[in-house]
Amino acid sequence: MAQYEEVKVRGYEEFCKTVSDRAGKDIFAYFSGDKDQQGQSWCPDCVKAEPVVRGEMNHLPEGSVFIYCQVGDRPYWKDPNNEFKKTLKLTGVPTLLRYGTPQKLVEEQCFKADLVRMMFTED
Amino acid sequence: MAALYSRSRLKLLLRSALHLSNRTLTGSGGKFDYDLLVIGGGSGGLACSKEAAQLGQKVAVLDYVEPSVRGTKWGLGGTCVNVGCIPKKLMHQAALLGSAVKDAQKYGWQIPQPVSHDWATLAESVQNYVKSLNWGHRVQLQDRKVKYMNMKGSLVDDHTVRCLSSRGKEMTVTARNILIATGGRPKYPTHVPGALEFGISSDDLFWLKETPGKTLVVGASYVGLECAGFLTGIGLEATVMVRSIALRGFDQQMSRLVTDYMQGYGTRFCWDCVPKKVEKLPSGLLQVTWTDSRTGQDHQDTFNSVLWAVGRAPETGTLNLQQVGVELDGDTRKVMVADDERTSVPNIYAIGDIAQGRPELTPTAIHAGKLLARRLAGLSSQLMDYSNVPTTVFTPLEYGCVGLSEEEAERRYGKDKIEVYHAFYKPLEFTVAERDSSQCYIKVVCERDGDQKVVGLHFTGLNAGEVTQGFALSLRCGLSYAQLRDSVGIHPTCAEELTKIYITKRSGLDATVTGC
Repeated sequence: MAQYEEVKVRGYEEFCKTVSDRAGKDIFAYFSGDKDQQGQSWCPDCVKAEPVVRGEMNHLPEGSVFIYCQVGDRPYWKDPNNEFKKTLKLTGVPTLLRYGTPQKLVEEQCFKADLVRMMFTED
Repeated sequence: MAALYSRSRLKLLLRSALHLSNRTLTGSGGKFDYDLLVIGGGSGGLACSKEAAQLGQKVAVLDYVEPSVRGTKWGLGGTCVNVGCIPKKLMHQAALLGSAVKDAQKYGWQIPQPVSHDWATLAESVQNYVKSLNWGHRVQLQDRKVKYMNMKGSLVDDHTVRCLSSRGKEMTVTARNILIATGGRPKYPTHVPGALEFGISSDDLFWLKETPGKTLVVGASYVGLECAGFLTGIGLEATVMVRSIALRGFDQQMSRLVTDYMQGYGTRFCWDCVPKKVEKLPSGLLQVTWTDSRTGQDHQDTFNSVLWAVGRAPETGTLNLQQVGVELDGDTRKVMVADDERTSVPNIYAIGDIAQGRPELTPTAIHAGKLLARRLAGLSSQLMDYSNVPTTVFTPLEYGCVGLSEEEAERRYGKDKIEVYHAFYKPLEFTVAERDSSQCYIKVVCERDGDQKVVGLHFTGLNAGEVTQGFALSLRCGLSYAQLRDSVGIHPTCAEELTKIYITKRSGLDATVTGC
């Protein structure tokens, strides 16, 4: 059995569906600004954080789920009423969180490998 | 010349230079694992460890929560975050909102009455917030390079601590300095049959998934009164059983106003009563038998929950303190400390609830922790000033105070050497809401002579904590009655009444404030 399942989604609805399909599992979600055709995100912090987060994924718990979620383009994200901000209460991208728990790392916190590892390995 | 600086010589110099800098990195000359080991991750322990780490010390924190009798446990942050100040204040707020909803109708809001309260919703919100604080502390410790271990610590010798995890993993850690900040836990009246089996404490109350229902709160300390207060406020039937007096240690006139308000608010009081036994009925209800010490008669009633709020005991049991020479106070069993928080063992310190003679308050533990860190890093010699520490009791009618009670001032100065100014006032918010303000009161205790230095300030009313904070600062700056009278109030507020106060107790005149 694979250590964890990675799912790539785009937008709020797809994110919610993916989560509800995996109810009861330990779900980690990484929110990033959309990537363009060249695979580059409009969000510079997301570009910086992604390799750090990916570098710690070998520490994900057995049987967990890792959702890589592109939130949308920059204008969508800047709108304070977008679904991610309103309902999921996200305040910035990148955000790495453990779904259903208060465990969350926001923006520069995602640059720190030790914090990412802490989230993946501690209860 | 060149021979002196041969490559091998340089290599040797470089290696010893690196060795020296390595020693500086560990900061303890390589002798100890840590510069500072903190046992207890609560208000005091965390503040000290974070400050020490910021100042370049190598720090580790041990935090471990022994489950309550009921099995309740919680995360990093100590009593305040998990089972004290934070959940208490949130639940108090829930109760205040209940009153606000009732008042709202008079202010024009069309709210269908009666409004009901759901415990599960409140509990979940509070518990989630507390968990976010646990996480926040965890991130902060990691960020500041403080090593965190979820393990139970006990002293082996004055520099060595044995750490034990819940799974039985064991390790030993050494440190140049050790800080004991393990706090306290609620006491159970073990001599009362059924107390342990059927009662709960404040450790459990905030983590209950289901409503506590009709509750008997035994104990009239601020823990007991605050809990009974918010339980009443959210619509539950709450009774407070008082052995002798309420709010021991606080100004007793103010204490009376607090409990009078609570009685008017709907909380029942059993004065001069002591519990005799607790039994569980087939229905699941708890039957409590108690003795009225005035009459000697026994009484009985049934409750859904019994909350013991009969005092707190210091968490020293498993620390192995005495074998290492750390002395405890004979009565309280708290750790004896000097002005610089040092225990009887020179490199072992204690702050917070565990330390003898200290206020059992978060801000003093935090402040003392930070100052201690600075002293340990050799950057300061400033000691913690424990005098004139303000506090607030968050009962339905809040009570904020700083300095001496009237009784204590009389004891220290003599009755004829103090002047007590006082006033009964009515918050504007109560007028339209047609609420009774009989217990809204202010008392300023001053030296009688000269400018009349303020030695104690007491306030019951709304937002008492917010009102008292600023005045507490002025007290530390040497506030006199003359200055108080000379200051201009903010209108319309309750706090401004402090600047207008002028009736003395001595005059015997009616102290009720009239109009603007």
